Amino acid sequence: MPKRITILQILTVAAAVAFACHSALAQNEGKASSGAEAKTTAAGETMDRAKVLRAAADALGMVRWSDIGAGATRLPGIDIVNTLEIFASGTVYNAGQPSTAEYHAALAYIPPAMRVEITRKGGDAASQHTIQTVRENFAWNESEIGAGLIPGKGTATPAMPAAKGRLLRLWILPYGVVKAAIAAGDKTKISTENGATVIIFPLSGGLAGITVKATLDSKNFVTKVETTPDNSSLTNMATETEYSDYADHGEVLTDIKSPGHIVQKQAGRPVLDLQVKMVDANNPYLVFPVPPNVKAATSASASGTPGN
Amino acid sequence: MRSYRYCFIAVAALLCLLPAAVLAQEFSTLKRTINAPPKPSGTTPRTADGHPDLTGVWNGLGDNLLGVPNQIANDGVSIDSENSSHDIFSGTQIATFPRNATRGLNNEQGERAASLLRRVGSNRPVYKPQYWEMVKEFDQNANEEDPSNNCMPAGIPRAGIPSYIGQYANYFIFIYPGQGGLIATQTMYRMIPADGRKHTPLEDLDGTYTGEGIAHWEGDTLVVDTWGFNSSTWFDQIGGYFHSENMHVIERFHRDGNTLAWTATVDDPDVLLEPWTTTPRVALLNPKPDALLPESLPCSERDLTHTVTKEHH
Repeated sequence: MPKRITILQILTVAAAVAFACHSALAQNEGKASSGAEAKTTAAGETMDRAKVLRAAADALGMVRWSDIGAGATRLPGIDIVNTLEIFASGTVYNAGQPSTAEYHAALAYIPPAMRVEITRKGGDAASQHTIQTVRENFAWNESEIGAGLIPGKGTATPAMPAAKGRLLRLWILPYGVVKAAIAAGDKTKISTENGATVIIFPLSGGLAGITVKATLDSKNFVTKVETTPDNSSLTNMATETEYSDYADHGEVLTDIKSPGHIVQKQAGRPVLDLQVKMVDANNPYLVFPVPPNVKAATSASASGTPGN
Repeated sequence: MRSYRYCFIAVAALLCLLPAAVLAQEFSTLKRTINAPPKPSGTTPRTADGHPDLTGVWNGLGDNLLGVPNQIANDGVSIDSENSSHDIFSGTQIATFPRNATRGLNNEQGERAASLLRRVGSNRPVYKPQYWEMVKEFDQNANEEDPSNNCMPAGIPRAGIPSYIGQYANYFIFIYPGQGGLIATQTMYRMIPADGRKHTPLEDLDGTYTGEGIAHWEGDTLVVDTWGFNSSTWFDQIGGYFHSENMHVIERFHRDGNTLAWTATVDDPDVLLEPWTTTPRVALLNPKPDALLPESLPCSERDLTHTVTKEHH
């Protein structure tokens, strides 16, 4: 009898071990690490950074996976925000002068590009309708969307000095903040100010020398973004943007949240106060080919010869 | 007696642990957590004339139209590991995260996510500016606008890699079985001569879904040059990528061991600003030497009548 009890006890222990193996295996399904996540739990700050950035990405609906038609495949979540379109109206400021305007931004993160079309009510004809476009280090103004790409369709005017300022608009959007903070790795610092979580990180590439400070609310939405250039003379790179009223503003719902109200200042002066009407976040077809004359002007500029 | 007892206990314990070990093995072999192209293995067989032999059932990993993972790959995002992904066209790293284990997805969330995932890649054809809005509208309204709805043929190059290739001295047979499920399509086949003939002048061809394809070898790569299409297809799975009857498609097939790599370059000077090349796809050879294509179920469109929003696959 004692012998039988011992065997039963050991069998019970073995079964428990087997069960534990099953459980551990099952739990591992949800515990892969991400590029933003810490490899080790030793560094508390690193863990905080990973958690905060993940929470901010989740709040915006950026991290997605799907098993539809996936069979036995179980892919991790990835950042699915690439192209996006924002339709808004409100007040835009030109040299401090406010105008009521329609605002339409088309943007992409791969490659970084943005086209901002503003149609003002009132003012002189030339300033009523502007299209400012940037793609990586190319910037140009379009007389109509897609100008300069085929003969007879509008004019593309190079605007290289504006490239950095236009790219900055892309990276201070909530999605850009999260992407850039993840990309900055351990240069991204997390802290708390007045009870709110704050993310501070440097931009890189063509925007190196600019520090971004983003504030999250209790739902982990990016509510304020401030940029500070190392070189204080670059006043147009000193911006402050407030985002509020987050919702899925898509005509086709995507579960991606976008701000419904955007207020932006540059060098302390107001530049935008927009009410968002619609956001197409379903990675719509948006392309930003650089017109040949803009490429040529950039090459000429880079080689030291005068541009046209 | 004592040693018998220990032996019995050890065997019993092993028996208890066995299911866990088996399960672990099943998970490691069956659960695929990446969509990166498969690595080739084995040798490349050759025909009597020395060319690679492409004959076989190429449905390993189900390259064609089915499934979110393959469509993410086809759209140009490689999920290389559980913590690393990149946009294939640009090489840009894409942030990758563990799944949120505490939050399951309902069908609606899964569909919305799938729609986004299929469109995240950056490899997009560049249309002439006057068509940008049209392409966007087609994609947004694909539930109504997609010409492959109602079991119409997917067309070329949208159909991707054929599930079966038969290689003969002077021609090839490509078979693309019809598919149900997410995207219902009609079975297509192509008989493609490789006898050195020239194309029929375009103006003498009546446009068709698969066009007039003519094959030739460039080294070990099979090149299929096709024109003579109708304009009733889109040339990629997503995106609303319409084309004219002047579309010209060059497909390249390269066998390496048990893998078949495929790209297609689409040129359509009527609507595109420049030729566009698909993200390379890789299919695996069915490892069974006697593998057969199963019969395609009759195509029956069941989804469209239930469509109530613009959300789409």
